[in-house]
Amino acid sequence: MLPSDPAPEHDAEHDALRAVRTAYVPTESVRLGALSLPARMIIAVAVGAMAVLTVWHLTMIFLFVAPSNTLSEDYQDTVQGYIYPEFEQNWKLFAPNPLQRQEGLSVRAEVREEDGGTRVTEWLDLGALDVEGIRHNLLPSHTAQNLTRRAWDFYVGSHDENGDPVGQRGELSASFVHRIALMRLGEATDVDLDDVERVQLRSSTARVPSPAWRREDFDTATSYEELDWWVVTTEDLPRGALAQDDEGEQP
Amino acid sequence: MTVPPQRSRETPAAPADGPADPPSPFRGLGRSFDAALGRGVGHITRRALGPYQTAIVRIGFATTVLLFLLHEWQHRHVMYGPDAPWGFDLATRHVSGNGALTVLLWSDSTLWFELVYHLVILSCVGLLLGWRTRAMSLLFMVGVLSLQNRSIFLGDGGDNVIHLMAMYLVLTRCGQVWSLDARRARREEREIRENGRPGADPVGIALWAVMGVLLTATLISGELDSGIWTAFFTGMWLVHGFWWLIRRHAPGEPRLVSDIVANVVHNAALLVIMAEVCVIYSTAGWYKIQGSRWQDGTAVYYPMQLDYFNVWPEVTKILVDSGPIIMALTYATVFMQVMFPFTLLNRRAKNILLVLMIGEHIGIAVLLGLPFFSLAMISMDSVFLPPAFLLWLGSRARRVTEPVRRRLRRTPPEPGGAGAAREPERQDRAPAWAK
Repeated sequence: MLPSDPAPEHDAEHDALRAVRTAYVPTESVRLGALSLPARMIIAVAVGAMAVLTVWHLTMIFLFVAPSNTLSEDYQDTVQGYIYPEFEQNWKLFAPNPLQRQEGLSVRAEVREEDGGTRVTEWLDLGALDVEGIRHNLLPSHTAQNLTRRAWDFYVGSHDENGDPVGQRGELSASFVHRIALMRLGEATDVDLDDVERVQLRSSTARVPSPAWRREDFDTATSYEELDWWVVTTEDLPRGALAQDDEGEQP
Repeated sequence: MTVPPQRSRETPAAPADGPADPPSPFRGLGRSFDAALGRGVGHITRRALGPYQTAIVRIGFATTVLLFLLHEWQHRHVMYGPDAPWGFDLATRHVSGNGALTVLLWSDSTLWFELVYHLVILSCVGLLLGWRTRAMSLLFMVGVLSLQNRSIFLGDGGDNVIHLMAMYLVLTRCGQVWSLDARRARREEREIRENGRPGADPVGIALWAVMGVLLTATLISGELDSGIWTAFFTGMWLVHGFWWLIRRHAPGEPRLVSDIVANVVHNAALLVIMAEVCVIYSTAGWYKIQGSRWQDGTAVYYPMQLDYFNVWPEVTKILVDSGPIIMALTYATVFMQVMFPFTLLNRRAKNILLVLMIGEHIGIAVLLGLPFFSLAMISMDSVFLPPAFLLWLGSRARRVTEPVRRRLRRTPPEPGGAGAAREPERQDRAPAWAK
């Protein structure tokens, strides 16, 4: 069953056999037929096992990336159990349609005053901070391009229409976006994070106007949506170098 | 695997006494199928295919991650460390739900984070140079998975590709050429010729011992709670001890069989890498076909207008002012992505498309501000580069780095240059898909 090259002369075969069993022979020059039966069996098992594994792996990936279909619905648990967490993949890059909305996020804070009262800060535009790090930069950082953008995607994706969190993902995403907002407040404004009692996020959405050369009439006005105030806990504050800086400034 | 076209043994009978039956296209099919199967098994057992392709993929991804980690060095605490808004508590809750592998959640100490981050950088350098490639590829995989799974909501498509390839590369023999390991292998060949067996390789033993200590510490700490990963790491470690033993003490059949099994695993992993590239482009292309904006020829306009991807407004302004240019880019993108897997059937078509794809990714790198995504994609595409090009690239690189190499070289080059003489030979034997 293993490949047979043109059969050599008997003597040559005998020599080859002896060489294979005793010396360093590169695999390239070996004739599989000259190997002993156990050796051939091990190789056959290896080839068979790798073939099965490869077909299995590729089938799972295919069913995972393909649109929902007869097979992927029937074997959903198998496919997802195999793919998650390490083989997860999403290749719907800008598909089926690219994002056509300009999305933004702003934050304001309620800060404790020395006299015991509170004041509310101006809105800080988180998107504008990111754009500052992206525009005219050959090598934008993930912290500018992905951090806020993807956290907000995650938040929207794990909250229902009423803005209520869905499961653990909803809770985690809410903490995540509010912590990003706090970090940016600490970086971009002179607000002392230790004095912040609550923060509020405001999302903005505007359709990208259609290209100049096309007549498509739709509303491109920006719409805003405010989230509920978020009560800041110590867990929401940065813990590493950023936090040490704050402590250093205190008398 | 390609089945060669059928050639009939006999010339068809001349139509003397009326119309003769045309020869059956199925004649001899069984025998030629057997022969093709035999050749196929010979191909995948005796050689680790695509030595240059797997090497360039290794170098590509190691470089991508190395540059990425150095570039983000100033932001590392915010991305994966103690300052991350995706805090240790959030990440721990999330990962306990999905069981992803990340050593960064084993401890929230800053020292541990710094140690891991800088070890990943070192593993990139090791993998790039092909120093103890297998061990480095394992460290690289653990590092990449640790960073990405620590902050899973920070990545983009580029990180996703790196994540997958870091795992696939572990199973390939990606250090056969263009590596310090290749140089060591030549030295070992000489030792075998002279002494009948390779030297003891103290560095290899030391590295294996260090890995053993790391593995034992991990298992004792109980932090690695995945049975599959435990089996995989333990297995890899045992296999390498075994490999050292049989190379020294059982040079005949046991070593040969192990070598062949490693070839089979390599070839399967290489197939998976190539199939993964096809999956990526097919998915991207076929889903785009369904989108109205890809149909009406405006899709490319939109990302260029988004603040997050509009890096050079002055340049994109020129592009988006022209409907035909946007339309051409939009349609060309879909055509190329859908076509890609099918062009693999034809060498020339594949090479033309590779050039176009790499060109498009360079454009994306600059215009949309996605340099590391693009670098990862180009590294991935390069698994399909033709050996002739890779050999030319290698000789160029060799010429440029010759002064440095000469200074570093400890042993004088072999007469006639064993490495140089062997390389073109490999190209001739490369299978059709790789030429």
